[in-house]
Amino acid sequence: MKNFSQKSSKKWSSSRTAGIFILLTVLLLLLFLADIFFGSVTISFSEVIRALFSDSSGKMATIIIKFRVPKALTALLVGVALAVSGLQMQTVFRNPMAGPYVLGISSGASLGVAFVILGFASGISIQAISTLGNWILAGAAWAGAGLVILLVMALSARIKDVMTILIIGIMLSSGISAVVTIMQYFSNESVLKAYVIWTMGSLGNLTSGQLNVLMISVLAGLTVSFFSTKILNALLIGESYAGSIGLNVKHARIIIFTSTSILAGSVTAFCGPVGFIGIAVPHIARILFRRSDHKILIPGTVLTGGAVLLLSDIISQLPGSESILPVNAVTSLIGIPVVIWVIMKKRRYSDLF
Amino acid sequence: MDNYKNKILTVDCLEIGYFSGRSSNSLLLPVTASAGEGEVIAVIGRNGAGKSTFLRTLAGLQPPLDGEIYFRGQRLAEYSRRELARNIGYVSTEPVVVANMTAYDLVALGRFPHTNWIGRISEEDNRMIMDSLALTSMAAEKNKYLSEMSDGERQKVMIARVLSQDAGLMILDEPSAFLDAGSRYEILNILHRLSEDRGKTIIYSTHDLQMALTQSDKIWLITEGKFVEGAPEDLMLGGSLSVLFESPEVQFNPVDGTFSVKRKNRGYVNIKGQGQSRHWTCKAIERAGYTVTGEMDYPLIKLPDSSDDMWHFISENRSVAFSSLYDLVNHLHRIAR
Repeated sequence: MKNFSQKSSKKWSSSRTAGIFILLTVLLLLLFLADIFFGSVTISFSEVIRALFSDSSGKMATIIIKFRVPKALTALLVGVALAVSGLQMQTVFRNPMAGPYVLGISSGASLGVAFVILGFASGISIQAISTLGNWILAGAAWAGAGLVILLVMALSARIKDVMTILIIGIMLSSGISAVVTIMQYFSNESVLKAYVIWTMGSLGNLTSGQLNVLMISVLAGLTVSFFSTKILNALLIGESYAGSIGLNVKHARIIIFTSTSILAGSVTAFCGPVGFIGIAVPHIARILFRRSDHKILIPGTVLTGGAVLLLSDIISQLPGSESILPVNAVTSLIGIPVVIWVIMKKRRYSDLF
Repeated sequence: MDNYKNKILTVDCLEIGYFSGRSSNSLLLPVTASAGEGEVIAVIGRNGAGKSTFLRTLAGLQPPLDGEIYFRGQRLAEYSRRELARNIGYVSTEPVVVANMTAYDLVALGRFPHTNWIGRISEEDNRMIMDSLALTSMAAEKNKYLSEMSDGERQKVMIARVLSQDAGLMILDEPSAFLDAGSRYEILNILHRLSEDRGKTIIYSTHDLQMALTQSDKIWLITEGKFVEGAPEDLMLGGSLSVLFESPEVQFNPVDGTFSVKRKNRGYVNIKGQGQSRHWTCKAIERAGYTVTGEMDYPLIKLPDSSDDMWHFISENRSVAFSSLYDLVNHLHRIAR
């Protein structure tokens, strides 16, 4: 009898997992379509479908193909990249409060971008930078992000407290913005303008070249992430145990930090800092799936992250109005309550995670 | 040197500790010891004696400062991480609580050195995991979350995790710390079954001296400036234990391996009666600071028997009756003052 109930509970739990995956996939597709549908110009549903699947000529079709689809795609990529990088950070640091934005990794990426725009681009706007320039921009962002991750790692290695990592993140972010302010002070007007426009961040301003770079980078980062599934699971139980079951912790960290830098860095390079997705989405995925296995959490975070950012983008367009809110404001408003809820619900470090 | 062959682990002039900059900080004098296949070895020492560092070094998680460790005749340093994980399992004192992680998930991590790049659990892996859970009697709790477990259950799952790792040598750092008496015996019982039925070699540190003395094949005793190894009885006979654990306040009883607080002798009493009640009455009287003697010129305590269920304290032809040892001890305290 006992054996039977165990089997059925196992089955129940795996069918529940499958069910959530199906629901999330459907939700993601619906949100993707809705994101294309809503915008400052009202386009009817039939026109959207026609533009997507058959006739791609005409003014409405141009708006959809040239603007709405790339924007939705960007939202999807940004959500996925930030969410997965957040999940990885939380596992590696064994800290529920870790994420690319709060730890200053996004700031690190913007420092990289600031070096490129303020330091090297001579009077040309960011949109005019060629494909090679886009890769330089992305590479600078990766380097900046990676540098900050290493700094946080070094600083937090001795302190196991959950909140200390947040303080370190805030300090690093402030330090970096101070450096950027000094760089701005010594920059000429046109370069400064290009940089300020970039810092505002947006999902809709990407050139097709930039979207390509973003897509390739995010896919590369995700691939590394999928290959790290086993490593991430081992790191869940702490470095000492991970070592005892045969993991080379140093190599594991390098692999995971590489993919985190690529994911968070690329997003910041082209869309500016987008906050609270990386920290909040993994928690939403954990609440949904009730599992700790990264074989489930990584795809789960991918779907949830994409869905949350598409939803944020839809909200930021204020359906029925012509004005657009900065997407960073919307993601913060969605993410912050989740983070506060996580802190309030359980105070013990081990339970939080 | 040819006794390397039947030894699973040989430690040769090992110095452990931490490197700090250019200098090294050695925690122990050079240790030379060995562990036979299938033995249960208890590591005993005071707090801060370096037990944990010693065990971590044996598990290959920390490089030794000097000396060599041989595992099955080969230097430990020559094994790759993965090979090491397939041969040596390790449980630290650090509790593992990961939200949303089930017993099964944790035990499955023991298969890490055996699975492919993504960590796919094959039929064989699954069998090992379920077998390990069954051996630690946690099979029914396989879907229970770690955060919902008692300390004892969590420790059992941690042992199941090392088991599923399928390593011949298991190193456990204070596996019975923080556990209640029942769980402590359960854990020890599991460890013994593993050595007897599965031929596992088990090295564990403990503060429970009595358990270590009665339940291990060998003891490694770590103290300041001295490392002693041997069967528990050898150490008792050799007097190492009494010397190392006695202090002005604590008395070590070499007959049964127990400790007691040294007390000033307040007087002598005689006990009349036999059996279990004599045993516990002696204990109570010793606790009160009196010594039991056979000479008749001291006060006499008459134990309860079939006709009378009271303790009688007879002194200078006056008899006082007590219904419990508690009252008797209180009376002894009073007259001592």
